[in-house]
Amino acid sequence: MKCFLKIVLICLTIVMAFATHEGVDAQMKPNYLPRTIGAWTRPESPEIINSDNIFKYMNGAGELYLGYRFDHLEVFDYTSENQENILVELYFMETSDDAFGLLSLDWGGEPVSFDGLPAKSSDRLPKALYGAGLLRVWSDNLYIRIMASHETPASKQAVLDLGKAVTADRKNSPEPELLKFLAPDVDSGWKLRRDRQSFFRSHLALNSVYYLSHANILDFDLSAEAVIASYEQVAAKEPIRSQFLLVKYENRARAFKALNHFHDAYLPDHKKEIIEDSSAKNLSLFKIEDGWTGYKLIDNYAVIVFKCPDRKSARTIINKNEVNLEGNHKR
Amino acid sequence: MQNKKTVITRRDFMRGTLGATIGASVLGFNWPVSEAKAAGSSLVTVVRDKSALDASNKVNSKALNKMLELTLSKVTGKNNPKEAWLSLVKPDDVIGLVPTDHLNQTHDEVVTAVKSSLVNAGIPKDKIIDAQGGPRYPEKCTALIALPALKAHWLTGIGTVLKDYIMFSGSPDSYHKGNSAKLGEIWNLPFVKGKTKLVLVDSLYPLCDKGPQPDPRYQWAYNGLVAGTDPVAVETVCVKIITEKRKALRGEPWPLSPPPICVEAADKVYGLGTSKMEEIKIEHYGWEKELLL
Repeated sequence: MKCFLKIVLICLTIVMAFATHEGVDAQMKPNYLPRTIGAWTRPESPEIINSDNIFKYMNGAGELYLGYRFDHLEVFDYTSENQENILVELYFMETSDDAFGLLSLDWGGEPVSFDGLPAKSSDRLPKALYGAGLLRVWSDNLYIRIMASHETPASKQAVLDLGKAVTADRKNSPEPELLKFLAPDVDSGWKLRRDRQSFFRSHLALNSVYYLSHANILDFDLSAEAVIASYEQVAAKEPIRSQFLLVKYENRARAFKALNHFHDAYLPDHKKEIIEDSSAKNLSLFKIEDGWTGYKLIDNYAVIVFKCPDRKSARTIINKNEVNLEGNHKR
Repeated sequence: MQNKKTVITRRDFMRGTLGATIGASVLGFNWPVSEAKAAGSSLVTVVRDKSALDASNKVNSKALNKMLELTLSKVTGKNNPKEAWLSLVKPDDVIGLVPTDHLNQTHDEVVTAVKSSLVNAGIPKDKIIDAQGGPRYPEKCTALIALPALKAHWLTGIGTVLKDYIMFSGSPDSYHKGNSAKLGEIWNLPFVKGKTKLVLVDSLYPLCDKGPQPDPRYQWAYNGLVAGTDPVAVETVCVKIITEKRKALRGEPWPLSPPPICVEAADKVYGLGTSKMEEIKIEHYGWEKELLL
C-alpha cells in the first residue's frame, strides 16, 4: 500500500511538473499573434524581458513596471520591406489589477472595443485606447502596447488587428475592487471623474499623475494598492477639482504607520490628531496652501483628500467615501 | 545632534520655497515674464523652420543645416559657422558630441549636421567623437557639445539638458526619483566641469508627456533648435516650451509631474547657470506658429 501511494505521489509530481512547464511554455509561445499582418511579419520568437534585464531594455522606464506586480515582457518587432516597424509589447502582470493600473495612468485616446461591447460607455471604463499609432490595452493580466513607428491607414488597421488577435479568448476580468469603493457622487455637487482615476502601488506612479513628494511618504510597496481620483464640483462656473486618494494596506498597523509618516512629512506644521483607535472622531482636517486637506484611518485603509475649497467639502468627500467603503465591505 | 532629513513635497512648491521656475511647472502658476529686450545674462536662441520636417516627420537636412548655421551665428555673434565654432572650441580639442540615445532620441541628422559643420570649420574628423556613455567618454574629451532631444521624463519631470550627461556619472540610477535634483552635480565632476561649449537641443519633434515610453500622441512637430551656452537657461526654456504645449493640449494647466526640481537645483545648488526667466534673453528666429514662448 505504502509503495502504491509513493508511486501515485511520484506520478502526480511528474504530471504537475509537466502541467506547470506547459503553462509557462504556452504563455511564451507566440501563437496568439499572427505571423504576418498586412505587410508586416514578426520574428519566430519574442524577446523576453524580466525584472533582471528590464532596465537594459527600457532604462529608467522599468521602474514603472516594477512598481506594479510585473512578471515578464514579450517583445515582437513586426517588420516590413517598405513600411516602418510595428512594435508589440506584451506585459504579463501577476494580476489583472496591475494590468488595469498601467492603462489607468492615462485615459486619453480613442476607446476601442474587441469584445463586441460598445467602445464608449458611461458605466464602464474603456479596455483599449488608440491614438496616433499607439494602441494600449488591458486584457486580464496582460497590458499591451502596440505601436506603429509611423501611422498610416494600413498601420492603424494592422495595429488594431493585432490588438484583437492578442485579446481573443482571454478572460474578461473586472476592474480592481478598490474602484468600486469610490462614491460616484458626493453631496454639495461633487462628482467623481471616471476618466481621472488611476490604480497603482508605488509613489512613482502616483507622482506621474499627481505629485505629492519625491519620497515615499505613504509607505507604498507591492503589498499595498491605491487609487487616486478627481472629484469635480459640477455646478461651479470654473471647474473646481479635489483629489481623493484611497490606499489599502495589508493590515491596520501598516495603514496607521503610513498615515503617521504622511502627516510627519506633509503636515509637519500641524498637530497630529490621528489615533489608532478607529472612531468617527479621528477625521483630521487642515487648512494648507492650496485649500483643505484631510485624512482618516478606516480599518486597513487610509483615505486622504487634497485641494478642497472648504472644510465642509473635505469632510463630506471623506465621509461619503467612508460610507461607500463600509457599504461595499458589508455586501 | 540629530540631522533631520528634509523631504520635498508638493507644499514646498506651493509655498514657493523652491522658487517660481519649478512652481510654474508643478502648479501651473504664471511664469515670470522674460524681458527679452532687457539685457539678460544668458542668451537662448530658438530657431525654427516650417520645412524642417516633412509630412512623415522625416528631417529635411537642407533646412536643418540652415537652422544650425543661424543658431551658431546668433549664439556666438559671429558671421559664419567657422568663426562661430572656433570661438567655442580649439582646433586641437577632442570634441565629444553627446546626443540622447533613448526615449525621444536625438535625430541622427542633427548629429551629422553638427559633425559636418565642425569638419567644415577645420576640426579634424578624428577629433570628433560620440561621447554618450560612461565616464571614460568625457575623460577623453577636452570639449563637449550637448545634443539632447527635447522631452518630458516621468521620473525627473524634464529629461533634456541636465539629464543628457547622466551616463557620465557611471551610476545613472543614483540620479532618479528624489535624487533627480542632483543631476547638476554630474556637470561639476572634475572630468566634465567646464568642458561644455554649446548646448544644442534637438527640438524638431519633442515629447511633452507621457513617459516612461514614447507615446506619439504627445509628440509634435515643433521644428526647432534651442541653443545656448548656459545649460540651465536652455533647460528652463525647454521646460517652458513643454509646459505650454501641455497646457495647449489639455486647454488648462497640466503641470509636469513630477516637477523638474533638477533645474532650479542646477542654478542654486550647483551654480551651472540661471533658471530665472527674467535673467534669460530669448531670441527666436523663423517660423512663429505655436512658438510656446
